[in-house]
Amino acid sequence: MEREYHVCTGCALLCDDIELREEENKTIIDSACRKGVAWIKNCQHPLECTVDAKDATSQDAIEKAAEILKSAKNPLIFGMGNSSLKAQEKAIELAKKSNACIDDTSSFCQGPFVEAILNDKIKSCTLDEVRDKADVIVYWGCDPSNSHPRHLSKYSYFPRGRMRQRGWEEDRTAIAIDVRKSDTAIICEDNFYRIPPKADAEFARALTEALSGKVPKVTFGMKPKEILELANVLKKAEFGVIFAGLGLVYSMHDLSPMEDLLEALNKKTDFHLMPMVGQYNMRGFNHTLFDQTGYINRVSFDGEDIGHGPQYSVVEVLKEKRVDAALIIGSDPLSSLPGSIAANLKEIPTIVIDPCKTFTSQIANVTIPSAVTGVECKGEAIRMDGVKVELTQMRKSDKMADADIIEKIMEAI
Amino acid sequence: MGFDQFLSSPEMEILIITHRDIFQSAANSDSRFSDDYANLTAIIRLDKQDMKKAGLKEGNLVTIENSAGKVVVKALQSTYEEPHPGTAYMVNGPWVNALVSAETSGTGVPAFKYIEAKMKKSKESSITSFE
Repeated sequence: MEREYHVCTGCALLCDDIELREEENKTIIDSACRKGVAWIKNCQHPLECTVDAKDATSQDAIEKAAEILKSAKNPLIFGMGNSSLKAQEKAIELAKKSNACIDDTSSFCQGPFVEAILNDKIKSCTLDEVRDKADVIVYWGCDPSNSHPRHLSKYSYFPRGRMRQRGWEEDRTAIAIDVRKSDTAIICEDNFYRIPPKADAEFARALTEALSGKVPKVTFGMKPKEILELANVLKKAEFGVIFAGLGLVYSMHDLSPMEDLLEALNKKTDFHLMPMVGQYNMRGFNHTLFDQTGYINRVSFDGEDIGHGPQYSVVEVLKEKRVDAALIIGSDPLSSLPGSIAANLKEIPTIVIDPCKTFTSQIANVTIPSAVTGVECKGEAIRMDGVKVELTQMRKSDKMADADIIEKIMEAI
Repeated sequence: MGFDQFLSSPEMEILIITHRDIFQSAANSDSRFSDDYANLTAIIRLDKQDMKKAGLKEGNLVTIENSAGKVVVKALQSTYEEPHPGTAYMVNGPWVNALVSAETSGTGVPAFKYIEAKMKKSKESSITSFE
């Protein structure tokens, strides 16, 4: 019998080797990590269809959602990182129809790097290239052992790739740069460079100096010799890659120190950067919105011209109370945003579309349960490296796909 | 010389760095309303000496407060071998996000990974609830 493989949508690695088998009336999920298994199996508290905290039919909930969006002057549409490409397209269409602000989690995480890659300011590569070619791998401000558990084993360090047949033992050097000795840093052993919080830009500049033949200096006590040795390892790479985590993103005011470092590295060798995107299709949303507007996030369709900028970010519009309704799709801002900002959602009519109950769904006026894409319905997504991936359905479900829910809300408007 | 030295559980200033944890991520997918999720999220990991200085034993509740908010979480000793006095670690979630300032200088990006706060042994009997 031909084996059937599925794609895990537990994170943006989109592992494509997941197998399901039945054993003693239980479904066993093979190959997925702990995080993936938890994502694929049913959550303990599926979201119920409600209007004003009372049970409702999906038709009633959709009509109420349409009514909220229709009567709002400036609604917010937020989330979509855990939605299919089709759902993201529909959400953008809905934003246009309802003069909404539309934003996603990239607005306060990996947005700057994705934007730089789409605008050709930073050289990136695919995970398949990393598996087959990378000999120097830098984990900077990230800890994939916890955030993307199969990253090291499937792509970046342990596999015997096409040109790295001797694997991690001889063919690859893994380096961690972080403020703490993470589980990934432990794997990197002596190649762990501990830097103080907020020192990432300074360290990147010191590495760029070292690559230009200058004596690198930092204010936090790391010896120039140590930085020169690291610069030497980087420049001798045949195919190098920096995996950029949130620790790196949050500590820099702008990306210029990393752009300069990559430029200096690429004068001597072939070096790339890839953002460690969390939600499985955050990058898909960024690509889709970029194709339509030239911007990856923080867009306003209120007015004749498309508005863009930090003033349209989810954080600023909620903080400044500039939106009068919110549609939250597959996201939980009450858990992921600063508490004082997220609390403002309680003051405006809020609609939540999600497979499971969340802190945000608890305060929402309308909740509509959706199928988990890649588990309960099929779809398409863009992996953390920009590669488009087909998602299959793993089990039957009577829940609607989020794309269909958004379509129905649009029809009702 | 402050008054704090005479207290058995003095208030201390800490810098909180956030991170991810695979076990907490799995609990997050399974249920945000479970004891498992709270036990893996509403915790702060402190340096051994800081635990001593604050008069804390493993599992004691602490109140952490700054201008953004106030939460009660469980204090555990850090598993890191190297000392990190003054710096503590929390897993990303609503408890630590209650302490993240809304001040962004208009950038749209709060300081999620650099949180300064004051911490002391708590008089509360349970962790802060978000349900």
